[in-house]
Amino acid sequence: MAGLSLQHIWKKYPNGYEAVKDFNLEIADKEFIIFVGPSGCGKSTTLRMIAGLEDISSGTLKIGERVVNDVESKDRDIAMVFQNYALYPHMTVYDNMAFALMLKKTPKSEIDKAVREAARILELEKVLDRRPSQLSGGQRQRVAMGRAIVRNPQVFLMDEPLSNLDAKLRVQMRAEIAKLHDRLGATIIYVTHDQTEAMTLGTRIVVMKDGIVQQVDSPTNLYNKPNNIFVAGFIGSPQMNFIESKFDGATLEAGGVKFELPDEKAAILKEKGYTGKNVIMGVRPENVYDSKAESLCKLTSPFEAKITVFELLGSEVQLYFDFAGASMSAKVGQGSRAAVGDSMSFAFDVDKIHVFDKETEQAIIH
Amino acid sequence: MKSQNERKRTFLLIAIPILLLFFAFNTVPLIRGFIYSFTNFRGYGSFDWVGLRNYVDLFTDTRVGNSYWFTFKLALVATILINILSLIMALALNSKIRFKSFLRGMYFIPNILGALVVGYIFSYIFTYILPAITHAASMLASRTWAWLAIVIVCAWQSIAMNTLIYISGLQTVPEDVYEAAALDGATGWNRFRYITFPLIMPFFTINMVLCMKNNLMVFDQIMALTKGGPAQSTESISYLIYNNGMNGGQFGFQSANAVIFFIVIVVISILQLRFLNKKEEQL
Repeated sequence: MAGLSLQHIWKKYPNGYEAVKDFNLEIADKEFIIFVGPSGCGKSTTLRMIAGLEDISSGTLKIGERVVNDVESKDRDIAMVFQNYALYPHMTVYDNMAFALMLKKTPKSEIDKAVREAARILELEKVLDRRPSQLSGGQRQRVAMGRAIVRNPQVFLMDEPLSNLDAKLRVQMRAEIAKLHDRLGATIIYVTHDQTEAMTLGTRIVVMKDGIVQQVDSPTNLYNKPNNIFVAGFIGSPQMNFIESKFDGATLEAGGVKFELPDEKAAILKEKGYTGKNVIMGVRPENVYDSKAESLCKLTSPFEAKITVFELLGSEVQLYFDFAGASMSAKVGQGSRAAVGDSMSFAFDVDKIHVFDKETEQAIIH
Repeated sequence: MKSQNERKRTFLLIAIPILLLFFAFNTVPLIRGFIYSFTNFRGYGSFDWVGLRNYVDLFTDTRVGNSYWFTFKLALVATILINILSLIMALALNSKIRFKSFLRGMYFIPNILGALVVGYIFSYIFTYILPAITHAASMLASRTWAWLAIVIVCAWQSIAMNTLIYISGLQTVPEDVYEAAALDGATGWNRFRYITFPLIMPFFTINMVLCMKNNLMVFDQIMALTKGGPAQSTESISYLIYNNGMNGGQFGFQSANAVIFFIVIVVISILQLRFLNKKEEQL
């Protein structure tokens, strides 16, 4: 296994479109890195550049200590799992997995050993003589993984490998991939647009938007300390609530309500010259409370809002309401008696308020 | 209910005239030809029933034997040549090259020209242009090389359609399969051998069968280029049936030849399909 180094990587197409802009990242050996972002953010393009399926317009890509910009895909010692699995439809499961080794002229006994070992790990032993068309979605996905495993590459690349599976299977396979990472001790780069996958699998997550890296951090830091409004909104479901508010030197005022801030946070805002200016206040739905219910945390002043949507999710309830011109959501306990049309009193956890600059959208305080 | 009846009536109004035309100009001649194959009909005058004599004589007639040998030789060589060249053309026209659509259109032009027209153009080339360049006698006048001229003309015209079929086959192979193959180390010949060819095998089958059938029935090109000469060395079965049946007073005998030839083509096509279907990957 090996680490990777991406230095000032750009992808420019002949028509002038820039899919990836100045991508910089050092990936350590055995890391599980996730590229996440909305469609068209450049995550798959970056992965394909690493795989050698797309040319790098400028910048340097190293796998281990070797610069591989101009090295062919097959010589980069990487394996890739594709979104549609890209299995060879005319070959059996066994041949699909053995193909790369066969081309390398590996002795048959070694190929057989590697394929059977991968099949054992992925529980594919019983379907080795079947063709991809005779397999279920989950089995195909595992064959695609097996094909990567038998090659024992330095780096595994996975391009949305779970997106074609149903919700239940996706959860199951997610756990399988996590186990596989532990077992193989492999360096994995994983592309997804699903933030749950990103949060549960990655040791570090790279959030991208419009070809630009927004933040590279651990899942916890991304969630608790997002760099900007985009990251704050992208990570977390339902997304963070954003309310335009005015900082008066001590509190944030929105919709006629003054929301208190901890002294040290207010001091930072003051120091940075935001007094009298409009900023964006961000609060995650789980930090919005029913102000009349008991709470262990320190709450802001309450405000009234009318419930527009009530969603029972089993263990919790999600409430949607409008406040200060923004559509907001709150996660409350299962016992909530609220109903659509009811007026309810909400308050925020004072310590969990994020503040973003309105112009630059960058985070000021967390 | 009423609209269903109307639909039925419209359907019958369209189908029946075509059926009558097909029956009158295809089925009736076919049946009559089969009947004449048991007679000594010369194409005119009276005739007698001769039973299976025409069929027995077919197997001892040297001219018929030669025409079968020539036709099979031509069909086999032309089919192989056409398929190899059209596959190469399809691979080239399916790659990322400039003016791809324009080139595809250009290469398809031979297919829209009539075989006789093409034959006469090539006849001019082989008779006047090539000898002027090479200072040698015309290929068409050589017993050794005339068949090759016919192969060239057949190939030139057939490659267009075969290429088109191969291009559509190549487009059915998903791009990510090629990408996976590239990562696995399959490039160049290995990619063609292990990925492309097995995946376009159904298209190869259809091309081989159609191409073989068309080449076995070669007629127009011979009519335009050699008229079976020199010294009957390029006499195909179809040409012999036409020539001796219509002009040679052997209508009954050549009808028997046509029946046998029909059976031969059907058998070859079925055998080809069976053999190639076994090779096709069940995707």
